[in-house]
Amino acid sequence: MSKKENGAQWLLLTAVFVIATCGLIYELVAGTLASYLLGDSITQFSTIIGVYLFSMGIGSFLSKYFSKNLLAWFIRIELLVGLVGGFSSALLFITFPLAASFRLILYAIVLITGILVGLEIPLLMRILEKKVEFKELVSRVFTFDYIGALLASLIFPLLLVPHLGLIRTSLFFGILNVGVGWYLAYKFSGEVRQAGLLKASAIILLLSQLVCFVFSEKIMTYSEAMTYDDNVVYSTSTPYQRIVITKNKHELRLFLNGNLQFSTADEYRYHEALVHPTFSSLSNPEQVLVLGGGDGLAVREILKYPAVKQVTLVDLDPAMTKLFSKQRMLTMLNDSSLLNPKVRVHNADAFTWLRNNKTKFDAIVVDFPDPSNFSIGKLYSTTFYQLLKHALRPEGIAVIQSTSPYVAPKSFWCVDTTLKAVGLHTIAYHNYVPSFGEWGYIMATPQEPHQWFSHIPAPLKFLNPTTLQQMLTFPEDMKAHQLLDINKLNNQALVKYFEEEWSKYLER
Amino acid sequence: MRRRSFIQSIAGLTVVSSFLASCQRQHVIKGSVIGASSHTGHLLRDKNFAAPVATTEHDIVIVGGGISGLSAARHLHRQGITNMVILDLEKEMGGNAACGSNDISGYPWGAHYVPIPNNDLTAYTDFMRECGVITSPPEAPLPTYNEYYICFDPEERLYINGQWQEGLIPQFGVPDAEKKQIQQFLDKMQAFRIAKGEDGKDAFAIPLDNSSKDPVFTALDQLTMKEWLHQQGWTSPYLQWYVNYCTRDDYGTTYDEISAWVGIQYFASRKGKGSNADHHDVLTWPEGNGWLAAHLKKELQPYFRNEALVARIQEEDGKLTIDYFDVKESRLKRINARQCILAVPQFVAGRILHDEARIRKVHQHIQYSPWMVANIRSNALDERTGYALSWDNVIYDSPSLGYVEATHQQVEQGKKQKNLTYYLPLTGKSPVEERKAAIERTHTEWVKMIVDDLDLVHPDIAANIEEVNVMIWGHAMARPLPGTAHGTIRQELGASINDRLHFAHTDLAGNSLFEEAFYQGLTAAQKVMTQLSAKI
Repeated sequence: MSKKENGAQWLLLTAVFVIATCGLIYELVAGTLASYLLGDSITQFSTIIGVYLFSMGIGSFLSKYFSKNLLAWFIRIELLVGLVGGFSSALLFITFPLAASFRLILYAIVLITGILVGLEIPLLMRILEKKVEFKELVSRVFTFDYIGALLASLIFPLLLVPHLGLIRTSLFFGILNVGVGWYLAYKFSGEVRQAGLLKASAIILLLSQLVCFVFSEKIMTYSEAMTYDDNVVYSTSTPYQRIVITKNKHELRLFLNGNLQFSTADEYRYHEALVHPTFSSLSNPEQVLVLGGGDGLAVREILKYPAVKQVTLVDLDPAMTKLFSKQRMLTMLNDSSLLNPKVRVHNADAFTWLRNNKTKFDAIVVDFPDPSNFSIGKLYSTTFYQLLKHALRPEGIAVIQSTSPYVAPKSFWCVDTTLKAVGLHTIAYHNYVPSFGEWGYIMATPQEPHQWFSHIPAPLKFLNPTTLQQMLTFPEDMKAHQLLDINKLNNQALVKYFEEEWSKYLER
Repeated sequence: MRRRSFIQSIAGLTVVSSFLASCQRQHVIKGSVIGASSHTGHLLRDKNFAAPVATTEHDIVIVGGGISGLSAARHLHRQGITNMVILDLEKEMGGNAACGSNDISGYPWGAHYVPIPNNDLTAYTDFMRECGVITSPPEAPLPTYNEYYICFDPEERLYINGQWQEGLIPQFGVPDAEKKQIQQFLDKMQAFRIAKGEDGKDAFAIPLDNSSKDPVFTALDQLTMKEWLHQQGWTSPYLQWYVNYCTRDDYGTTYDEISAWVGIQYFASRKGKGSNADHHDVLTWPEGNGWLAAHLKKELQPYFRNEALVARIQEEDGKLTIDYFDVKESRLKRINARQCILAVPQFVAGRILHDEARIRKVHQHIQYSPWMVANIRSNALDERTGYALSWDNVIYDSPSLGYVEATHQQVEQGKKQKNLTYYLPLTGKSPVEERKAAIERTHTEWVKMIVDDLDLVHPDIAANIEEVNVMIWGHAMARPLPGTAHGTIRQELGASINDRLHFAHTDLAGNSLFEEAFYQGLTAAQKVMTQLSAKI
């Protein structure tokens, strides 16, 4: 008898050890996640540890209300801890975009785990109280409790976070918790009522956590929270893209499909450089076409020219142009340019729109995403530039954002080569935009106009005749140093250059 | 550690996939099985028709509105012929170049492309110019091709050794020794491409009959492609797969059955060159060759009589009588004609002519490949690692030829839904057995076959397919078996009868290419014109 009793005692003490480890792990996961997602790690860790310990206190207090079937309760709680704790980080990742209620969910999870873990130690001590001498019991339980805590605190930063990641770490310990619960139910099935039910629920839980464990990558990609350094203040999925706006004390940033489009800190550098070299070289830019640029920031610069009579903006995504027409924070940024009576917005595919277009324009601003895939690569092809040329008046100018000539010189000069291939004259230039790095643009015109840069409007924050001259000079490290292919629909040379150059750059 | 996590994923996946499978049961994949009207067609075999009820007179009757028939009609129309009819069993003219469409795009029921035309095919390139495929004038040193129709990049990819690679020639994970054999094979094909025979003609030309008769080359028609590869010492399984893929792709015939000469012709006969395209480029449209058929049909609408099953052609007193069953009116009608072009496959021609000797000969010498072509309406699919979604997507060692993305030539951004055209030449058993099995298979069974095949490269395909329409071609094309290209059978079957009845079809050309059909029609039309002008 004493041998069996002894075995049971050690089993339960192992359970204490596991509980202690798991409990601390959940707390650490919550703390880490909160610091990742909300920033300010000191505050996050401090409040989470506080809430967790306090909840354990609540749990200990509540333990006195459990008087019968202690072992069954212990197992149930074990399973519950496994459920809540195991899924905690997956749940937090998924709910993060719901912004407002996130903290509520976070602290609720910490509270519930805390209470449950807090219940367990007193319950266990009462289960064992008749089997072990009191001083032995206290000594053993707390020894195991604190050793478990030490183990958790060591393996969490050293092993778990780097190798498993947060979602899998919490799931892994959820599985451990549930596993212990199942084993206890199995071992003590004679002493526990409804042991079968407990075992069955344990197995269901185990399976679902296993599935989640396998698919944790998917959950991570679903939750983009980790991608951004700052708070996500707006996010939406349209049929075309994922729009995310983040904010910190100094700036607001727009991301499309995870790629930075602009930061309010320096977007003027980009948009002044995109618009003014072209417009200051046109004596009478009446008809203007903007392809892409649904944020209205290029249009804001264009409207600084009184000669402009009409701006036609073609952007694929209605959600984008609507957002930048209606959201006050954003209309302040683009001076409500999209609401200007001179501006007409068409939500259409640029290629198809241009193919059907019959109007001739004085200026065309092409502000597409970088050619990072074969679909977008079509918008940089000879076929597209033929249409562009066709839509320009002979003395008109088009300007094309053409990625970074520093990171991707071959890509940049491939755009130049392609424009020349359809018979356009080009002028390439670049400037420094801190958020992007060194950025490049190319002006293209059927006929060379006479007065380059003669009407720069005042006052601009970045562009003036002196900076303009600097922008036209390319140092050696921004040149291609090789003969480049023309980008055509049937070779997609640009996408290949782009992929090669940017992946090499991002490897560093 | 790695091994364990792998085992965990497998264990997890089994659980998940059974979950998913139970979800998919509710996902109904729409669609149906369509066949080239075999039912009406078989009336010809099985039914005895009553006497015709109405008789009309025409100079020329063309039986069969496939590419051969349309090409003949186009040429005759250009020569000023107006008293002409074209009879076809189907509701639409076009034959194997049939196509369909939905709100996403058009899609083909047959071939998806033609290669860049060989520059010496003047009549054909003129036609291409008329369609706007060639944008440069005839006098330009090299034709310029319309860039919207040259297949966009990325063009082809192959799923091999767990990854998508660019192009269809096996490279990824292929041992160096085999790569060397593949290179030797390709070099040999390049040599054949420029080779000329003693008679000064190209060793391998399009149309096939323009090729050199030099026995050095025609001897290759006596053995199979597999035997020839073996003779060359090319034993690489990857190379053999590739060659077999190509012969199944173009001819619906495996490499152990096809004539080596024709097998080589696939690689060596394409020599087209444009200012912006090369012989390895292809011209393609969402609806495939249906696009070209539509151009051929444009000016011929007044001559069309669809749903017309020709039952009998007889010759009396120097006149031809053509009896056809009007399916819509369910009546037999008669046309008296001076000249007739039978632009139908030979197994049909024998029946129409009630010519037992011809029927026997065709049965003995020509085998027709059955094919299944499916058009799949699908949402965006999960991708395996490697090269991006391409126009042509092929799985190494699959029974199918993979699929072509019909929507590939669209220039729009962010189109989420796609039409995928899936090709399956039924080469497993004999054509007769395969044809029988194909006709009996249900829509659900076809869909399961397709999903099981593509599941390897798109694990989520079952959940993302919305509709699958299946076309069964019982007699898609004649198989170029040894002896057909340079034997006598094609001449015997293709000879005009009494200078009144002419034949035009790709089973007489030796292979089922668009160009061959185009020239089959053109040649027959020229024979008709000679006869008509002689009699005036």
